[in-house]
Amino acid sequence: MAGKKKKEFEELRIGVFICDCGSNIAGHLDCKAVTEYAATLPGVVFAKENLYTCSEAGILEIQEAIKKHKLNRVVVASCSPRTHQPLFQNSCKSAGLNPYLFEMVNIRDQCSWVHMQDRENATRKAMDLVRMAVARAAFLEPQQDIESPLTPRVGVIGGGSAGLSAAEGLSRMGLEVVLVEKNKELGGLLRNLHKVAPEGVDASERLEGLIQDVSSRPNVKIFTGAELKSLDGYVGNYVMNIRDGEGQTVKESVGCLVIAIGAIPLVQKGLFGHDGKRVITQMELEPILKKGKFDAKRVVMIQCAGARGDERSYCSRICCMIAVKNAMFIKKLSPDTEIRILYRDMQMYGTEKEKMLWEARGEGIRFEVYDPAHPPEVGDKAVRLRQPLLGREIEFAYDLVVLSTPLVAREDASELSQLLRVPMDQNGFFLEAHAKLRPLDFAADGIFLAGSCRYPATYDEARSQGLGAAARVGTILFKDKLVTSAIVAEINPETCVGCMGCLQMCPYGAISYDQERKICQVNEILCKGCGCCAATCPSESASLRGFKPQQLMSQIRAVMEG
Amino acid sequence: MLDVGRHPNIKLMAYSEVEEVNGEVGNFRVKIKRKARYVNEDKCTGCGACSEKCPTVVPDAFNEGLSTRKAIYTWFAQGIPSTHTIDTEHCRQFQGKKCGICQKVCQADAVEYDQKDKFVELSVGAIVVATGYEVFNPNRIPEYGYKEIDNVVTAIEFERLLSASGPTGGHLYRPSDLKVKEEVPALEKSLKKLSKALERFEKKYGQKSEEFYKALGKEEQGNDPDKAKWAEAYEQKEEVSKRLSEYKAILEKMDVAKKLAFIQCVGSRDIRFYPFCSGYCCMHSIKEAIIANEHEPETNSVIFGMDIRAVGKGFEEYKIRGADHSSITYVRGRVAEIIQLPDKTPVVVYEDTMERVVREEPFDLVILATACVPNKGTKELAGILGIELDRFGFFRTTQANPVDTTRPGIFVCGCADSPMDIPESVAQASAAAARAAQVIVETEMKKAS
Amino acid sequence: MSRDILVIGGGIAGIQAALDLAEMDFKVHLVERLPSIGGKMAQLDKTFPTNDCAI
Ligand SMILES: Cc1cc2nc3c(=O)[nH]c(=O)nc-3n(C[C@H](O)[C@H](O)[C@H](O)COP(=O)(O)OP(=O)(O)OC[C@H]3O[C@@H](n4cnc5c(N)ncnc54)[C@H](O)[C@@H]3O)c2cc1C
Ligand SMILES: Cc1cc2nc3c(=O)[nH]c(=O)nc-3n(C[C@H](O)[C@H](O)[C@H](O)COP(=O)(O)OP(=O)(O)OC[C@H]3O[C@@H](n4cnc5c(N)ncnc54)[C@H](O)[C@@H]3O)c2cc1C
Ligand code: SF4
Ligand code: SF4
Ligand code: SF4
Ligand code: SF4
Repeated sequence: MAGKKKKEFEELRIGVFICDCGSNIAGHLDCKAVTEYAATLPGVVFAKENLYTCSEAGILEIQEAIKKHKLNRVVVASCSPRTHQPLFQNSCKSAGLNPYLFEMVNIRDQCSWVHMQDRENATRKAMDLVRMAVARAAFLEPQQDIESPLTPRVGVIGGGSAGLSAAEGLSRMGLEVVLVEKNKELGGLLRNLHKVAPEGVDASERLEGLIQDVSSRPNVKIFTGAELKSLDGYVGNYVMNIRDGEGQTVKESVGCLVIAIGAIPLVQKGLFGHDGKRVITQMELEPILKKGKFDAKRVVMIQCAGARGDERSYCSRICCMIAVKNAMFIKKLSPDTEIRILYRDMQMYGTEKEKMLWEARGEGIRFEVYDPAHPPEVGDKAVRLRQPLLGREIEFAYDLVVLSTPLVAREDASELSQLLRVPMDQNGFFLEAHAKLRPLDFAADGIFLAGSCRYPATYDEARSQGLGAAARVGTILFKDKLVTSAIVAEINPETCVGCMGCLQMCPYGAISYDQERKICQVNEILCKGCGCCAATCPSESASLRGFKPQQLMSQIRAVMEG
Repeated sequence: MLDVGRHPNIKLMAYSEVEEVNGEVGNFRVKIKRKARYVNEDKCTGCGACSEKCPTVVPDAFNEGLSTRKAIYTWFAQGIPSTHTIDTEHCRQFQGKKCGICQKVCQADAVEYDQKDKFVELSVGAIVVATGYEVFNPNRIPEYGYKEIDNVVTAIEFERLLSASGPTGGHLYRPSDLKVKEEVPALEKSLKKLSKALERFEKKYGQKSEEFYKALGKEEQGNDPDKAKWAEAYEQKEEVSKRLSEYKAILEKMDVAKKLAFIQCVGSRDIRFYPFCSGYCCMHSIKEAIIANEHEPETNSVIFGMDIRAVGKGFEEYKIRGADHSSITYVRGRVAEIIQLPDKTPVVVYEDTMERVVREEPFDLVILATACVPNKGTKELAGILGIELDRFGFFRTTQANPVDTTRPGIFVCGCADSPMDIPESVAQASAAAARAAQVIVETEMKKAS
Repeated sequence: MSRDILVIGGGIAGIQAALDLAEMDFKVHLVERLPSIGGKMAQLDKTFPTNDCAI
């Protein structure tokens, strides 16, 4: 039905590529049948099944088909547009096809994965999705990417190991830095530590060098006792509204931000009898060790106190190392102190930490496994433990119990997450764009993260991440201009009645009201293309490029046809 | 990965090695050997026509030797670049025999038997070393019977067995069964040949082979060489058909492996080999057990380890999910030995340290979580780059400068630095990129002032 | 002096470093010993913690 209408504009020449993804897709649905079906759809002049459409051979095939068959639309049915759409779009572009004339269908997640056990229906669904994509493709329009200027300055929020490393890195890369630290002093958690494992140097020594370096850099501006109050603008052109140490509001323009606000060690009164005196946390032990005097003769450390349980399911990664470090230092100060570490798994991953564990054993520190179903009980004088080895209860008299508590997210992290519009995970840590391949990026453009606010990290990990975030910033700010997607909203000034319905709906603050013309307008860089405005507008003046009513309706009609 | 191949700022030199490095930060001069592929990189389209026709079959290293490829090959199907390469150690043409088939079939005229290694000289401001690691060879632990017992594999071999693009198309058959399956065609062929030979004798002497053999006296055999041959062929045929029917019986019962044992810390945390913890192998065992269970919901796995180290973001939750939904049991213990039953079933002998008893348990397949060890050639590369190694043989760094090697302007990331998983490798790689960018920017600024 | 950067090894670490640097507009030379890049990750079926395909 749609075929006739389109002929009036230009002859449609759609190419469809169906990816087997090895057997990831082809193993669970009939790609050949889908391809044959695609070839019969209106406007389709070429349909091809590939073993891996994303492979060099697959891409070449698309590009050659564009030229040979004069394709003016390309549809790929494969995996996730999140990972592969840019690749296919760029490939179309280099073959001379406007990248916005490309449409992608995810038949892996939506067909082969979710309907793994039902080949027939997975195949049918894939056909439906392809039919819808082809219908939509028919109405796609060519678009031009949007270009905008960049501010070569970076805001770093948090001045601990990670934030300082990011600031140092960025400054040395020649970018200006605005460092915002909430505390009166820089340094974060390390300020209160004694020694830094595994190398065992003084925490203050480790920190002083870094703080001095960063403070002495002419292109680093530091605000202490300060906080980020709000953030305006968009990638490349943010404006930070900072409340400085004197309580004044200062505006700083930056192109990108690095978030490094750390986390805090859990202190919970009553947890395993925690009283801050005879039952303390590792964090509370550090200053005692710093003083260099230690008299408790019997020490029991309890691992995973408040972690890996119902309340907090995660493992805090660093507290096993902290326990071993502190136990060894106690041995140094007071060799005849008896130390037992009650644990579930000793998380001494990597080359250096495992070595600490060997050494600790060598120094007579005792390690006892406990079963989380029967956690140790801290009494007045002794810790009672059900030994899984012997199945019986044993008691360890103590002078001091040290709890290895996890790092937990800062309470104010959620506030920050709202003002930056970045997500958090179920534990209150910030959520990166991809757990494996983009560990230092937020999904939001131009905002990055590092250190313990992402997940508990050791000093060297926090430092690597801080430096790494600097490189990630560089990938944006080392360019002369910002190029963003053309898929944004537009408001027809002819028909807009200025009701401002869209303005209230936009979650990104991308719409403003033009007093003079009495209409609303869209900031193309702030706009993320969510389409809320288009859905709201009563006069149908707001629409989303690439998702115009006509384009969506064609897709919906196509699904009904099946 | 493909992005690398197409990025205008990246010059990819695969099948190449660094030979020499001179100079200093801001101005290193580097000599790179571009090994001859015997296929012209600019002409080859990666179509694969050559490897289809190449008569020489070679074990496929990418699939850990679990399948075969040809003497002219790509490293793997989606490899970048897809330029083919001739393996001269196996290629007939290079081994002094006649062939030249690939050159004939190549439509792009890309095969060049007379290609030579090329040397490229570069001038660079900074160097990032990301040469990764190698997995520990479990042959060094004879108690685990690796390579002796068919159904004991390494984790990386197991990854290939699980992979849809791997040697078994993702079906988890036991290697012992696959071996049997592989031998059947040859046996069938030889049975056919022997049967034909017997038929000839039967025609010639007008007697059934079976009767002839039964009636055959010892002395007669020696007297008539023709009859001796007949007897021999008959014996061989009997033997082959017996084996074939045994094999067929095995294949009839052949099923995917459903009971899996994962042995942790193979070569790691072991004072005899590498005292360190490789960090990621507890997680990959859990992952592999989860995937095996996805393939076949009846699959049960036991993971034998001292500690289960699941320390990354979301890892503890992943581990618990594995136990709850993928039938994984975690057993705290060191495996002493793996033995094999006559039907090729591997039996794990371990000490349950929780209950302090020695136990034995049969499995369909045993997977060894082998250590992450310095890559081969690391020492030579360290020599060429003039940088130091740590006591384990990884490139040396310090806590304060986690990606700086001992020579200014040379940085390291990923498993070349120390064992780590992908998220950490990626974060460190960005850190190394930042340091490399810094030294260039700083050298430029120094020059300018 | 040179603005070019050499990356040795084309596994996930080398690839990430090369891409970051290339996006920062440095010219990168990526040297890989094997016929193709990808390193160990290319050999893996799916990878934790997200269990999506390796490449
Ligand atoms: C008891 C203990 C012992 C440890 N021992 C070791 C060890 O031996 N070796 C080792 O490698 N690691 C050790 N660590 C870990 C180490 O402390 C961390 O790796 C490191 O502190 C992480 O740095 P960070 O920058 O991510 O976070 P932090 O150090 O927590 O720094 C975060 C900074 O951000 C600031 N901030 C917070 N919110 C805001 C906001 N809204 N706006 C602006 N600024 C804000 C904070 O004031 C702080 O200065 C230990 C940790 C603990 C708890
Ligand atoms: C069985 C198994 C399963 C795993 N599963 C996971 C998982 O699910 N999730 C996860 O996060 N991690 C996993 N890992 C860990 C993961 O493999 C590593 O973290 C990651 O591959 C490290 O990447 P890399 O780039 O540092 O090293 P590599 O992948 O080893 O890459 C190094 C590259 O450098 C090349 N090279 C080496 N020497 C030279 C030289 N002299 N000149 C030029 N090039 C050279 C190599 O050929 C290679 O291409 C697994 C590991 C194993 C063994
Ligand atoms: S690091 Fe150790 S103490 Fe901390 S949560 Fe993990 S297992 Fe428990
Ligand atoms: S060498 Fe020739 S035949 Fe072989 S893949 Fe390359 S182009 Fe095809
Ligand atoms: S010359 Fe023959 S053996 Fe050698 S790679 Fe070519 S086809 Fe194979
Ligand atoms: S990660 Fe697990 S299996 Fe690997 S060495 Fe460490 S403890 Fe052993």
